[in-house]
Amino acid sequence: MSTTETNVDEASAKSSITTARAASARADAVDALQKKERRRRRLPLLPALIFTIVVTQVPFLFSLYYSLTEWNLLDNKPREFTGFDNFTGLFSKQGFTDAVVASVTMTVSAVLLSIVVGTGLAVLLDRKFFGQGFVRTLLITPFLVMPVVAALVWEEQMLSESFGLVNWLLETIGFERIPFVTNYGLWSIILVLVWQWSPFMMLIVLAGLQGQDSSVLEAARVDGATSRGIFFQITLPHLRPYIELSILLGAIYLIQVFDHVEVMSGGRPGDQNVRHFVYQRSIGLAFEFGEASAYSVIVVIATIILATMGLRVLSNLFEGEDPA
Amino acid sequence: MHTPARTRVRAWRTLFAVFVALALLATACGSDSAEPVVDTQAVDDANAAAAAAQERADELEAELEEARSAAEAAGDDSDAAAALEEAEAALADAEAAAADAESRAADAEAAAEEAAAAAASAGDGEATRSINVAVVGNPAMIDIEELTPEYFTAETGIEVNYTVLDEQTLREITTRDLGTGGDQFDVAMIGMFEAPQFGANDWLFNLNTFANNDPDYNVDDLIPAVRGGLSANGNLYAAPFYAESSFVMYRADLLEAAGQTMPEAPTWDEVAAIARAVDTDDVAGICLRGKPGWGDLGAAFTTVLNTFGGTWWSANEDGSIGTSQVDQPEFLAALDFYVDLLQDAGEDDAANSSFGECLTLYNEGKVAMWYDATVAASFFEPEVLEVSDFALAPTNVTDASGWLWAWSLAIPASSSDPATAWEYISWATSAEYHEQLAGEKGWVAVPPGTRTSLYERPEYLEAAEAFAQRTLDAMNAAPINNPGTTPRPGLPGVQYVGVPEFQDLGTRCTAEISAAIAGSQSTADAQAACHAIAQEFES
Amino acid sequence: MLGALAWFLGLTFFFPIAWMVLNGFKTEADANGDPMLTFSPTTEQYSTVTEKDLFGEAFMSSVVIVLLSTLIVMILAIPAAYALAIKPVEKWRDVLFFFISTKFLPIVGAILPLYVIADYLDLIGTRTALVVLYTAMNLPLAVWMLRSFFAEVPRELIEASQMDGASLWGQITSVIMPIVAPGLAATALLCLIFAWNEFFLAVQLNFANNQTVPIWVLSNVDDRSPFIARISAASTLATLPVVIAGWVAQKRMIRGLAMGAIK
Repeated sequence: MSTTETNVDEASAKSSITTARAASARADAVDALQKKERRRRRLPLLPALIFTIVVTQVPFLFSLYYSLTEWNLLDNKPREFTGFDNFTGLFSKQGFTDAVVASVTMTVSAVLLSIVVGTGLAVLLDRKFFGQGFVRTLLITPFLVMPVVAALVWEEQMLSESFGLVNWLLETIGFERIPFVTNYGLWSIILVLVWQWSPFMMLIVLAGLQGQDSSVLEAARVDGATSRGIFFQITLPHLRPYIELSILLGAIYLIQVFDHVEVMSGGRPGDQNVRHFVYQRSIGLAFEFGEASAYSVIVVIATIILATMGLRVLSNLFEGEDPA
Repeated sequence: MHTPARTRVRAWRTLFAVFVALALLATACGSDSAEPVVDTQAVDDANAAAAAAQERADELEAELEEARSAAEAAGDDSDAAAALEEAEAALADAEAAAADAESRAADAEAAAEEAAAAAASAGDGEATRSINVAVVGNPAMIDIEELTPEYFTAETGIEVNYTVLDEQTLREITTRDLGTGGDQFDVAMIGMFEAPQFGANDWLFNLNTFANNDPDYNVDDLIPAVRGGLSANGNLYAAPFYAESSFVMYRADLLEAAGQTMPEAPTWDEVAAIARAVDTDDVAGICLRGKPGWGDLGAAFTTVLNTFGGTWWSANEDGSIGTSQVDQPEFLAALDFYVDLLQDAGEDDAANSSFGECLTLYNEGKVAMWYDATVAASFFEPEVLEVSDFALAPTNVTDASGWLWAWSLAIPASSSDPATAWEYISWATSAEYHEQLAGEKGWVAVPPGTRTSLYERPEYLEAAEAFAQRTLDAMNAAPINNPGTTPRPGLPGVQYVGVPEFQDLGTRCTAEISAAIAGSQSTADAQAACHAIAQEFES
Repeated sequence: MLGALAWFLGLTFFFPIAWMVLNGFKTEADANGDPMLTFSPTTEQYSTVTEKDLFGEAFMSSVVIVLLSTLIVMILAIPAAYALAIKPVEKWRDVLFFFISTKFLPIVGAILPLYVIADYLDLIGTRTALVVLYTAMNLPLAVWMLRSFFAEVPRELIEASQMDGASLWGQITSVIMPIVAPGLAATALLCLIFAWNEFFLAVQLNFANNQTVPIWVLSNVDDRSPFIARISAASTLATLPVVIAGWVAQKRMIRGLAMGAIK
């Protein structure tokens, strides 16, 4: 519509008398129309954008301010502006570096393992066999389970040394019982995360597999390619965008894991991630609001840097044709 | 054909209408915790505001239509520009209308709130009074929740809404709500750790006035140590619902079979020797808390630490936190003793066990002894209770080491109706409630440890024969004002240091100790880590 | 052969859930003892957990909050996706990146200010607070997925409809919607799942009033007595609605996600 209107304007301009006043009016009108077009394009975006900015960025500004104050709820003293005091010694605090290491390990291994397991499951499901739909239904269920429930089920009913089924099985077949959650807290959490997220990865990869052009595969087979060769030469490259999507979505959610850690980790050194650590500095335990806000500021900045780098790597997801 | 301006206004109008509708819906759904009667009013008012906004938008569109056709008729540049300007103006108008509608909606809401306040203050007669009560999730609270409608609401007309939370969440939430002057609860359940601190912070109502003016309540019947632990500067800040000390529970049959005898007041060395002697592959010698948390492992370990002559911090002259005592040899001795005992003769997965796990193991006959809260005995299966016996908390260099704890009910200082809250508290913590509960569930189920009179009742002594006297002895023996051998901050308090900083130290340090119990680090490493944490709070 | 492997893995993945459902029908003594498949089933746990007033209230709150927030997400995300895919604004990539980047912000860093703001606005314990926060939580994902779906719509169709003078809303409803419907359904379903399962914000803000289902589940955890059977029954009930929705919509989800990856 905008183009038609501009054309009409230009036509009428040609036919009109070219006085200085009219020309400047026309220039203004065209300018206004361009502005208007830009604004018109922006308009549908604004509600979502403004909403997101208000709800996600305003609290962060508060955090920024709190991080410059001395504020401990339990002291019962008013908040006091102290500048950058909170930021000294953040990294030397007992437990913080452990939490950073745990966070990185947890996110990276959970994402990668989920991708691998998910892709494997998808490949298995992408063939006709009896009860295919039913098996797929069984497989996606863990993703739908509430995280607190998943963590509780695994901790209390599967892995627990005294009551867990896994340990009962181990003992039955002649092994020692192992206190998994206590001794391997981080990996127990990762196990539950992989259990919940590989079905999601599977769904995405499965979507990719089903979108594959079967004639290409047929042609390759006719040319005598092995099924292994087909998988690595044709299928995997085809799956790349899907796997990248899985990594992005997985990373977004797995970096934020809280419920599993809260339920399964006793907060022992090494199985507590950064999010849980900051939570304990803040409303969870210490009520050191100033210090906790300083940690949040650091974490937010670090996450944005990491996320930007990560998204660059996965930049394919942001490419694609640029429609006029 | 539609013009861009019109499309824009239409899209904008649709969006706006949807937003108003959604805002209304959300407000209607969101405030349903308030008075329902007033809510309808608010919705009606806001509806009117929205209708007005809609009308304005319609008018605008008509105006715009006019402007547009005028512009088309003129077909001239300057006119087109003028039409454009007019469209802009219309948009501005529409925006103004939005602001207007919003302010109307706000007015409506404010009016609704005023009406709600009025209704609440005038509501003594018809409207039922109701209170929100936050409690910790355990069987005693499930009982009271069950009995409330019949024995309390029916009598007083006060409805009670319970919020049941696990211990940790309850702590977080009550601390934050009270500390920020929130008004979510009329009555909050807090522990003996919090009561004097919150009281001193003026976060709670002083219950003295209520209790003293309520002759039926018989405040002097409260067990003195418990009452003292819940007071600050002589003011009672929370009424005890149930209270506990700690003692040793043991399977007399198993000990006898192993040729062991437990003294009435054992030392830790004696207990450890018995535990190692009775420990087998199927039955662990002793169950001790190993789960991180200042109220879990922290409580049990601190009583051991006290009686080994150690402590967490020294005290300055003004009673504030002095220097860390975690690097002292007494601390390491207590730590080594605790960790070694658990590793030699403790329960499976000790580093992840606390009260609940030990209770299950003891009831299943998988442990021979258990050092924990006196309240545990009320949860024994009858056949287990029959073969169980009890001894005082073990000591080393001090005379007594048992802890003292009470879950108790308090009224936040922000409460608008403390009198109603007290009505509830005085019922829930009364001897009368004990009788009512006994009538429904038997005397064993009565929350122990709060009132002397309970231990004088023949029915209770008969029903709880096995542990009643031991519990009372333990409560009276708890060295609440002098738990160790050296001066320390935060008294009264046995199994904790009664300063806010202890939660932070206790939880982070017990995580280190728990790791030592699990065998993933040495006790010396745990001690070093704890010392570093304790030093953060030195002053 | 591979079919058998798929069956085996499917059953393995599902097993913990099946075990949980089974435990919900046991007595506490059975659930805490040695594992066994034969036991006398009881619905005792189900009556215990549903007897609480909180049960009905929490389900009601969750349903209202989850549906309302998902609805608002869709209403905000559809025009936004249009502005990012069909008639893109300048720098639409940066805008998209901004949306996604908000998902990386640790909520825990914002919970304190959120609490303070909500307290100031008197929103603690209201459904409004959670509706707003769940909308913000899911909006970036929805915008991002919907943009990919919208980019799938053939440009010729949109241009044709523009020639016919369809309004923005007309374009969305008559041209775009039919094409992106599966994607829309997949997006809405994901939003529903994440909102239904959300625990952290719910427990921090709605601990006293308008509690949601995850809080009800955890209210069955007991520090002083065994609770495995009880919590299993509660977990089963809490998980059921989302699981059924997921089962029913799984094919749509696959189709929807397929569109999301390519563009």
